[in-house]
Amino acid sequence: MKKGLIQVTDAFERIVHWSLAISCLILCITGLGMMFHSFNFVGTLMGSLKSLKYVHNYAGLFFIVALFFTIRMWWREAGVFSMPEDLQWMMCAGGYLWHVDKVPEVGKYNPGQKMFFLAVAVFGVVMVVTGLVMWFPLEFPVELVRWMYPLHALGFLTIFAFFFVHLYLGTIGSPGSAPAMFSGWVTRAWLMKQHPKWLKEMEHEGKLVVSGEEKSAGGH
Amino acid sequence: MKFMEVVKLIDTTRCTACRGCQVACKQWNEQPGKRTRNLGSYQNPPDLQSNTWTLIRFQEHVDAGGTLKWLFRKDGCMHCTDAACVKVCPSGALYRTPYGTVGLKAHLCIGCKECMAACPFDIPRYDKATDKILKCDLCLSRLQADQLPACIKSCPTGALTLGAKDDMIKKAYARAKALGGDANVYGDKFVGGTHVIYVLGEKPAVYDELPQNPTVPLSIIVWKDLLKPLSLIAAGGVLAGSFLHYITHGPKTPDDDVQGGDAGKGGK
Repeated sequence: MKKGLIQVTDAFERIVHWSLAISCLILCITGLGMMFHSFNFVGTLMGSLKSLKYVHNYAGLFFIVALFFTIRMWWREAGVFSMPEDLQWMMCAGGYLWHVDKVPEVGKYNPGQKMFFLAVAVFGVVMVVTGLVMWFPLEFPVELVRWMYPLHALGFLTIFAFFFVHLYLGTIGSPGSAPAMFSGWVTRAWLMKQHPKWLKEMEHEGKLVVSGEEKSAGGH
Repeated sequence: MKFMEVVKLIDTTRCTACRGCQVACKQWNEQPGKRTRNLGSYQNPPDLQSNTWTLIRFQEHVDAGGTLKWLFRKDGCMHCTDAACVKVCPSGALYRTPYGTVGLKAHLCIGCKECMAACPFDIPRYDKATDKILKCDLCLSRLQADQLPACIKSCPTGALTLGAKDDMIKKAYARAKALGGDANVYGDKFVGGTHVIYVLGEKPAVYDELPQNPTVPLSIIVWKDLLKPLSLIAAGGVLAGSFLHYITHGPKTPDDDVQGGDAGKGGK
């Protein structure tokens, strides 16, 4: 490994992230297959639309487990806004949309990432609850069941739209980000750009794990 | 009857509850009779089932004057024009036929039960053994062969008739007028007009399990007409926005000359 790279995620985080990501993608694609007649062909690829229903339902169970670990793992770091710097960051959209002379320094997660996490966490739970009711609709009052469908669609709308933002900013929109979720090692320059406050804090506390350097006690 | 919008008229005032239609329906559609329980009523089975697509509901009603009336109502699919079940069906198993009725291609049904929640009349029933829903299709195969639906064929009193939509609606109103009193026509005024229309002897509110103002549920409209298209528009908007961001504002890159230190603030 190249010297000087810094570890920002551990293996567990990456496994949970990709478990959630893959189950979420399968759910989005199979969900589209049921939501739009023009996407029914996705079911054909799986043998039939009925098979697709089972893929969707059981991928949902996988999603529940992944979501549980995602929330448990990240809610402290990504689920809580720290004021006032997060508000200031949001006021200038993190410098992503227009020129900003001085963007507040970002810690482990920027408010945009926090919003994405919260959207996935909140609507993920909505998807799980509404999805389970939709799976067993005869066990619930019909008036309740009827509202589960639009809520499920609202959750899809939110997560699906956010997914593309996430995909863009995790790849070409912010070069250097993707390795954080593949190998877990990123460059110092990228960290200075994206999460300078966290970098400084970790350095200050001597917790930074840098490749080629001796591991300090209590590393990530 | 080739490709003509039809209406089945159910004149409840002529029904004697012989249940010939119930039997004929099972016979034509090859649905088994299953063991049932006597719950103290001739209404049997107690409700619509996956194998019972039409059912005579028996109801003892005491009117305002203290008179006991025995009301019979043949329950079953109303074949809505604006059919909530067709709106929600993910596979196209439920569909509108050229007769105006709602057909069911059972081989396409995936057993999601969404139609059961959507139907304002509580008609589709789930069959666990086949993981499919079943309901009346107004004997589509018979209509296609220029035959009357089995229930109508069996009806000895003329309570059940079928014909061109406009004619049948006219007949229904004429009959209701002739009956006078509370008699009324039920079905042509909501969900775009149903293709099963009742002449009711009493006000609709009197009858068990008969919604007074059936509509496609608001939740279903929000779901299918609003959020469904919006979900693709939102995703498309985000994709387009990201592309626009990439080619105008550009990606957020680290400054080349920065290797730590205090530069790199402020993003791009």
